Amino acid sequence: MSIKITTKNLNIPNYNRLSVYREHGGYEALKKALSMEPAAVTDEVKRSNLVGLGGAGFPAGVKWGFIPKDTPKAKYLVVNGDEGEPGTFKDRYLLEFAPHQLIEGMIICSYAVGIHKAYIYIRGEYIRQIKIVRRAVEEAQEAGLLGENILGSGFNLDIVVHQGAGAYICGEETGLIESLEGKKGFPRIKPPFFPAAIGLFGCPTVINNVETLSQVPHVIANGAEWFASIGTEKNGGTRVFAVSGHVRKPGICELPMGVPLRELIYEHCGGMRDDRPVKAVIPGGSSSPVLTADHLDTKMDFVGLRDAGSMGGSGAVVVMDDTTCMVDVCANIARFYAHESCGQCTPCREGTGWVSKILDRILAGNARPEDVDNAVRVAKNMMGRTICLLADGAAMPILSYLTKFRNEFDYHVEHKCCDVKGG
Amino acid sequence: MAVEFPPEVKREFDELVAKYEQTRAALLPVLHLAQREFGYISPEVEEYVAGLMELPPTKVHEVVTFYTLYHKTQPGKHVIRLCKTLSCHLLGAHTIKDHLCRKIGLENGHGTTPDGRFTLELVECLGACEFAPMMQVDERYYGPLTPEKIDEIIDGLTDEPVVENVDEG
Amino acid sequence: MPTLTIDGIEVTVPDKTNLIEAAKMVGAEIPHYCYHPGLSVAGNCRMCLVEIEKAPKLAIGCFTPCQEGMVVHTSTEKVLQARKDVLEFLLINHPLDCPVCDQAGECWLQIYYMKHGQYESRMMEDKIKKHKKATAIGPTVTLDQERCILCARCVRFCDEISKTSELGIFNRGNHAELDVFPGKELNNKYSGNVVDICPVGALTDRDFRFQCRVWYLDTQDSICPGCSRGCNIQVHYNLDRPHHAEGRRVLRLKPRFNPEVNKYWICDEGRYGYKFIDDESRILMPQVMRNGGMEFVSWDEALKASAEKIKASIPEELGVLASPQLTNEELYLIRKLFVEELGATQVEFRVPPKEEGYSDDYLVKADKNPNTKGAEEIGLAVGSAEEILKAAAEKKLSALVIFVHNLVNSGLDDSLVKAALEGVETLIFIGSNFSDTSEKANVILPSATYAEKSGTFANSEGRVQRIHEAVPPLGESLPEWQILNELARALGLDWDYQGTEHIFAELAKDVPAFANLTYEILGDQGQTLGYVPPAEEEALVEHGELEAVRAT
Repeated sequence: MSIKITTKNLNIPNYNRLSVYREHGGYEALKKALSMEPAAVTDEVKRSNLVGLGGAGFPAGVKWGFIPKDTPKAKYLVVNGDEGEPGTFKDRYLLEFAPHQLIEGMIICSYAVGIHKAYIYIRGEYIRQIKIVRRAVEEAQEAGLLGENILGSGFNLDIVVHQGAGAYICGEETGLIESLEGKKGFPRIKPPFFPAAIGLFGCPTVINNVETLSQVPHVIANGAEWFASIGTEKNGGTRVFAVSGHVRKPGICELPMGVPLRELIYEHCGGMRDDRPVKAVIPGGSSSPVLTADHLDTKMDFVGLRDAGSMGGSGAVVVMDDTTCMVDVCANIARFYAHESCGQCTPCREGTGWVSKILDRILAGNARPEDVDNAVRVAKNMMGRTICLLADGAAMPILSYLTKFRNEFDYHVEHKCCDVKGG
Repeated sequence: MAVEFPPEVKREFDELVAKYEQTRAALLPVLHLAQREFGYISPEVEEYVAGLMELPPTKVHEVVTFYTLYHKTQPGKHVIRLCKTLSCHLLGAHTIKDHLCRKIGLENGHGTTPDGRFTLELVECLGACEFAPMMQVDERYYGPLTPEKIDEIIDGLTDEPVVENVDEG
Repeated sequence: MPTLTIDGIEVTVPDKTNLIEAAKMVGAEIPHYCYHPGLSVAGNCRMCLVEIEKAPKLAIGCFTPCQEGMVVHTSTEKVLQARKDVLEFLLINHPLDCPVCDQAGECWLQIYYMKHGQYESRMMEDKIKKHKKATAIGPTVTLDQERCILCARCVRFCDEISKTSELGIFNRGNHAELDVFPGKELNNKYSGNVVDICPVGALTDRDFRFQCRVWYLDTQDSICPGCSRGCNIQVHYNLDRPHHAEGRRVLRLKPRFNPEVNKYWICDEGRYGYKFIDDESRILMPQVMRNGGMEFVSWDEALKASAEKIKASIPEELGVLASPQLTNEELYLIRKLFVEELGATQVEFRVPPKEEGYSDDYLVKADKNPNTKGAEEIGLAVGSAEEILKAAAEKKLSALVIFVHNLVNSGLDDSLVKAALEGVETLIFIGSNFSDTSEKANVILPSATYAEKSGTFANSEGRVQRIHEAVPPLGESLPEWQILNELARALGLDWDYQGTEHIFAELAKDVPAFANLTYEILGDQGQTLGYVPPAEEEALVEHGELEAVRAT
């Protein structure tokens, strides 16, 4: 089954301009939503089984439902466009080629929840995308799709495009909120587990990923049942996989939730470079535990990947062939988390750095036999003991390499060289 | 050096701050503005921004040092961010780095070239793994990189920064 | 008021109590670094992890409010392991400085390592080097970044208490470091507190560094005499090691918690204001003017000389300048001796300062005396210092007794002071340190400092609080109450006060504001003037008379 939703029209020239977007049915879903009761819009999203596509896979409609109905405080929508999970680049496409789809989704969400101010937080390096989204917001404002009395409905919404400044941790939703408030991106202590009641500026806040909100116009336009019928039982619709590594055709690839990994690689990404065999696959961004070639039949939805011992994460698939040294991969990932730890919690600040140094030593052929076990121990010791999940997101994959490819680590220690690459 | 926004930039600053419910929320964009204006964020710039936004200078310095995109010293005319994270690494970022360093005349692998033309930063994932190995020069992304492509890109640079102009076509 | 079970013990706690505080109530200690009850919760050190039944993960005690029916375990195997692991993480980049670290002995890394750590080091990597080691970051504090565990207590203190925000944590991850803004200093009126709350040796006190190992220190509760706030303090002293700190006995002051007065803090002015106790300017022996010069004499001789001069004066020719630096007990004896027994009318305790003292809206008061309120209640404001000095200058006084005050350099007119001090025939100075005023005296009676005696001060809000003798009076100095007792005897009165509690009991009977107060009731946190015992208060409420009593 080939069905595309959010990326369906990305190839249409100038689809990121308002006029072209409208020619292809853009903002019709908004009109429909504005004719509905706000609660009915939320209900539609709930019934669609649309889940958060940033990484957590939490039902989007349920998240919207957490916002208190009667509050004297302002309410905010924050779009998480701080795409930073290694391997992930899907939001870059949605921002660059379909900004109005996102804006339409934002207006619908805001209408459903009663929000009048929204922020789009985009990672600072995405300068092209920031410029394009800013232009799109201006176009929408001029066309009466933003601002006061949107399309004569009496509903108001303003959108501010906010440029990040380079910090992976700001993808964590409370870190993002802190950052948006002009601070270091230190994730906030939980509870509250969601910023629904106390979010941006201490006010109720919905925070959704770019892709999640980009799905919303389609849910409203085509109905919850249609959306839910695509995908799996609990994860409705499609998701945009971002595939990279040793495949012939890396890129984005929108497929129904639950597509088998094998199909994704061989049918949609041109198979393996030089026809080499798959050795390992990261199925949901670098934080997801690695899968081996034995897992090629795994269904790529949140449930299927959880059952396979990994996770859906950000939908970033990194495919590695048999020339890949797993010690090298593991050390590379560990370096990333050590660099990106915000440094507030002890186990993460110290643990990510320590494990990275141990792995670098193993890689460099400068390790002792007990170092491999120590790396395992250090990784385990930082799990479940910190404010946010960065430490777990570092430890889980690291442990997966250390466990599933233990022999390669031991080989490095014993022979001070690599059995995969030689040398 | 007296650090101060010229009037038209000060207006830009005022407009920026006005978009946010709280002044402090505009800090990241204001620092981007200050960096555009002054080239990098020195402690003097931090104090100036802190004064404008009525924040303790330490809070500004915390932010400047926490995020990677703010330059703490004067960078070269072009800032090159070469990705070293997984997908780029798998596809040979290291070889690309060596070639790039030779090409721009950088001996120790990162930092600013002696002629002040280039600053090379080895960065974590830039979110363009389908173009691995890739890099960002000023505002623009380039990839997949080969030694030949590096030569072509570097040779094509002028003294002006590379700007993403979204209205080009 | 939720009831919960901690380590098998049921406890009912006030709403919003966190688990660390609740555990204290059942005698369980949950170790922690970043949590401080006087600051906002950061939750970053992860040391206070505890197990809560039915919770999926260990929870931090500092940020977990007690809830009805909660069952908490503070020392299961899982909890102990987590502590050990967190400690290991805290220590991997911590330098092995203990032998040369001034925090040793009161370092929570050391303390918890001995209690909860005790593992073999598995850290083979190079420790991360940071920029500032033993670097003064302001007039009071030295920073060592490598020792810092980034708990951010000091940062929160400067944000929330001193509201000066000089400190920040810069950079991120394991390169994060505590510092001041480039080129700036940590310099505020409360800066010394960051040393107290630093759980490790990252922030040390420039004044105290390397003066004495902390395990040689003894402590005594006291009250800061630096202003009328009456902050509760501890005097840290050492009597056994005169070769340390140039022989100074009192080595530092630390704040002592009192929720009604100073919470956990004291100001720098108070903290570093202790030097006069062991200063070279201390008066060590009584002195009397003989043959045109001051001579050291015995107490008997000095008291005899004083008594003779006082006896020789008729009441109208006797001036007394008591001091709000003195305790209530002493002021009471001054009133009793000079006003009631000798009939003096020229009695005062207030001397205006040269310039208004610094004050703020937090702790520091402009009145730099600890017991103005007590002196007022005891009734020593009879005349005015200026009138007394005028009388002296006009040679209408034959004797003037000055307690503590240095009139030279006060807010009084210089020429008046000069004329008065030179004009009076007998000038008796009773004080602890030499000054321009004591220089003019013809009798000097050395008295003890507040750290060398017991008694009470009443702060500006009327809270009566006890001070205790930490170190013995230096040289032959004596507490003023003892001097007064002896002077009274030398004057032929049959006084026999055995201690300050004895005097206080009499004071409480005589001075209405002090009614019902005893040392026991004052305890270690003090009690306010106009105190009504709980039983009586109930009766008064019934009769609707409480307000009337309070109004007195």
